[in-house]
Amino acid sequence: MDLLTLGFMQKALVACLVVCGVAPLVGAFVVQRHQSLTGDGMGHVAFAGVGLAFLVGAAPLLGALLLTVIAAVVLFRMQRSGLAGDLSLALVFYGGIALGYLFAARSGSGVNSVLGFLFGSPLNLTWGSVAAVVALSTLVLLVVVALYGPLVAIAFDEEAARVSGLRTDALVLTLMLVVAFVVVGGMYAIGLLLVSAMMIVPVAAAAQIASSYRQTMIIAAAIGAASAVIGLVAATYADATPGSSIVLTAIIWYAAAATVAGIRRRLRAASAGGAR
Amino acid sequence: MRPVNDIAALAFDRVTFGFGRTAVLREVSLAIHPGEFYAIVGANGSGKTTLMKLGVGLLRPASGTVRLFGTAIHDFHEWHKLGYVPQRAAARLTLPVSVDEVVRSGLAGHLGLLRRPTAAHRDRIEHVVEIMGLTGIRSSPINRLSGGQQQRALIARALVTAPRLLVLDEPTTGVDADARKALREALEHLVEVEQVAVAYISHDPEGFNELAHHVVEVVDGRLVEALLTDQHHAAAVPEPES
Repeated sequence: MDLLTLGFMQKALVACLVVCGVAPLVGAFVVQRHQSLTGDGMGHVAFAGVGLAFLVGAAPLLGALLLTVIAAVVLFRMQRSGLAGDLSLALVFYGGIALGYLFAARSGSGVNSVLGFLFGSPLNLTWGSVAAVVALSTLVLLVVVALYGPLVAIAFDEEAARVSGLRTDALVLTLMLVVAFVVVGGMYAIGLLLVSAMMIVPVAAAAQIASSYRQTMIIAAAIGAASAVIGLVAATYADATPGSSIVLTAIIWYAAAATVAGIRRRLRAASAGGAR
Repeated sequence: MRPVNDIAALAFDRVTFGFGRTAVLREVSLAIHPGEFYAIVGANGSGKTTLMKLGVGLLRPASGTVRLFGTAIHDFHEWHKLGYVPQRAAARLTLPVSVDEVVRSGLAGHLGLLRRPTAAHRDRIEHVVEIMGLTGIRSSPINRLSGGQQQRALIARALVTAPRLLVLDEPTTGVDADARKALREALEHLVEVEQVAVAYISHDPEGFNELAHHVVEVVDGRLVEALLTDQHHAAAVPEPES
């Protein structure tokens, strides 16, 4: 409890809790649309944005936001032009990492200056960057709540959603922009390379034990938030890297949920066998 | 005689479509009126799914016109009048999604971006869940149900806006005999009682022939009226007028 009286810990907790609680809400749509690696691709583009910001002397947040928003639009148009989803992601993915390394190397700060954004450094945050994380996450939360029904429809079955009269192109683009916001918000807390894990792993864990989509989203958000707190506290005591610790905690949740689901399946099979 | 309104729910007028240089459909004309059941049959890859994707606006014809309820499809906005059941969409669901959530998702287009379901919408959900025999399994994740139950949930989703035209693409694929019977009875009720127009696409329409007012087969990109035996041997006759 003494930890909570420390200013750096308070900032880290707020940023990680908010990002890791909101990221799975977006991840649920991405996973259902079979686009689990979208966040990863966006993370690499955000890396290029941070590199660009260092090169031109701008705020890293602005650089990351600018390039990820552009990437969301480009990715959307590539996929709509008929390019396979994984191929378009790979192109964005590799382009982002190459550009990021190029920009960072050319900037006066050197490559090491951007490493903190790749893996996150929540214990070194300012209240200004925490406010940016909270603002981006709140925006994401508002979009998810306001567009919940239409986003669910395109996640379940985009063709049927389009025939029902929904403007599916606008919704898919909105979803990609929301993924970009989560990634940029998460770069301060757990890093550009790890934030996409918090969109996917809690959802995968929740899906093991939930029986509906809404339930999956709520459990996933709870797992994400719990992983943030447990991972951050564990990392502080063990002198480990917070981003890794948070993601590994989420993976432990997944293993526990998969074990519970396996036991439940065996019990159901045994009771069905007994009934015969 | 069945009561048939003048305005077709779905009409194709000399519609041609192809992928690149490969022609899939040539000068196809067809009209499905309220209260009519049209079975559209043909071998896999014959173009029947393409025909219905043109009919629901997922594809655009190279030439010719598609009309929904008398309005050219590019000017059509009353999408709640159309119910569409694509091929086995439930098989693509990776996360647990309850039957209730699948059915509710059918309202999304009707409600638009920010409206929430009203009491009337909730009553309609109750109604379609009941008529499709889903009451006891409405909280179950759809991907843990049988093919027949999944298909009934998808049809309930299509019916939740009380459509006047229902388009079903291969609804009995992977569905057992009991589920086929339940589906046939539900469709019979919709056509005969609620006067819904039905376009039923199948490579295997066994058991639905007696329900159909018209059976047409897609052959070489054209429609021919088919007189089906139980083994689905088609005898071609001249193309129906639109």
